[in-house]
Amino acid sequence: MRNCMPPPCRPQQLLSPTLSRNSAARRCYAFQASGGPIIEVFNRRTKWLQKERAAGHVEQSRQADYLKDEVASRVCERLLDIKRHFPRALDLGAHSCNIARALDRENLDPSTPTSPPVSTKITELVAADSSEALLFRDADLPSPESSTMAVTRLVLPTEETIPFAPETFDLVLSSLSMHWINNLPGVLAQINSVLKPDCPFIGAMLGGDTLFELRTSLQLAEQERKGGISPHVSPLADTRDVGGLLQKAGFKMLTVDVEDIVVDYPDTFALMQDLQAMGESSAILGREMGALSRDVLIANEAIYRELHGNEDGSIPATFRVIHMIGWRESDDQAKPLARGSGKINLKDILENNNN
Amino acid sequence: MQPKSRPIQRVAQAVSKCSAQAAIYGKCIVVDYNSVHKDKCAKEFMKLKDCYLAASKSSR
Repeated sequence: MRNCMPPPCRPQQLLSPTLSRNSAARRCYAFQASGGPIIEVFNRRTKWLQKERAAGHVEQSRQADYLKDEVASRVCERLLDIKRHFPRALDLGAHSCNIARALDRENLDPSTPTSPPVSTKITELVAADSSEALLFRDADLPSPESSTMAVTRLVLPTEETIPFAPETFDLVLSSLSMHWINNLPGVLAQINSVLKPDCPFIGAMLGGDTLFELRTSLQLAEQERKGGISPHVSPLADTRDVGGLLQKAGFKMLTVDVEDIVVDYPDTFALMQDLQAMGESSAILGREMGALSRDVLIANEAIYRELHGNEDGSIPATFRVIHMIGWRESDDQAKPLARGSGKINLKDILENNNN
Repeated sequence: MQPKSRPIQRVAQAVSKCSAQAAIYGKCIVVDYNSVHKDKCAKEFMKLKDCYLAASKSSR
């Protein structure tokens, strides 16, 4: 009998394979590896610095919030259509909590004269941003008394990883910050993963022809003054790309639509100053370091005015906002029927209706 | 105390006084913007710059 006992070293041999299997089962970051290699377009540190600096000038930063406030309220308007209560919501790329402020505003609904703020639908809002100074810029200001929503501010080390367990949130919002993300497919997949089943993601980002006026006139000015061009306006996602990206990330029942917001400025210098105060200066990798030369700035002002200027002497700047809504997949959602399963010919119905 | 104006604001102010020259330079570029090359409108730009320099000197 004693000979049948396992040799003393046996338990250790057994231990190692079981351990490794356990640790493999606990990995939950595998979704980040999907897709091709991540192409770095933007310098994250530069972007972070720009936001911190912009928030340091509190008054200017507040004055330049008009675009973010406008888009945040348009994002919140989309929430009015969803008749549901959200216990926990995430605002990804919150800036100075523009969405929280828009949620707290009363009478956002244009169809009814007096409506409670949308924030009554939300119990807790987690506002996450990489820039601490910007996030806490207005933390001291009191929120309206009618507000029942708790706002938790969270500083992220990077906006490209969302540090939450899967199925944590009932709603994810994002307004005007996803156009600075390098790995957009990865972040969308992570958003999909932190959402509970059958919960919506409502986002807005700059895309398409945003600032095309500035892009073209700077290119012409640099070409003529220096004989070459370097990127100054970011490459941006197009409307049709966004639909594909949402689909690839696993969202269902997608809605993508585009809004153009045109802002008139007195001159290009005012435009660029405001972009800086928004923390939206260029942060492309491989851009020409340092400021634009004065010659290019002067040439740019003349060309912008000539090419795009309004008749009243102001200059327009177009911001194209891509709005997107996607739902986390769930079994009880309405789904399209399988292809070819239709039994009734649509042509017959339409012809009968005409008669 | 008046806050110190940024250099870019001084540039903006000086350029705004040269709208005539800026329009001439702008027209020179825009008339054929598909074939812009270095110093295509150097003469027009120098006039704009002269005006800008004079304007920035007088405002100081």
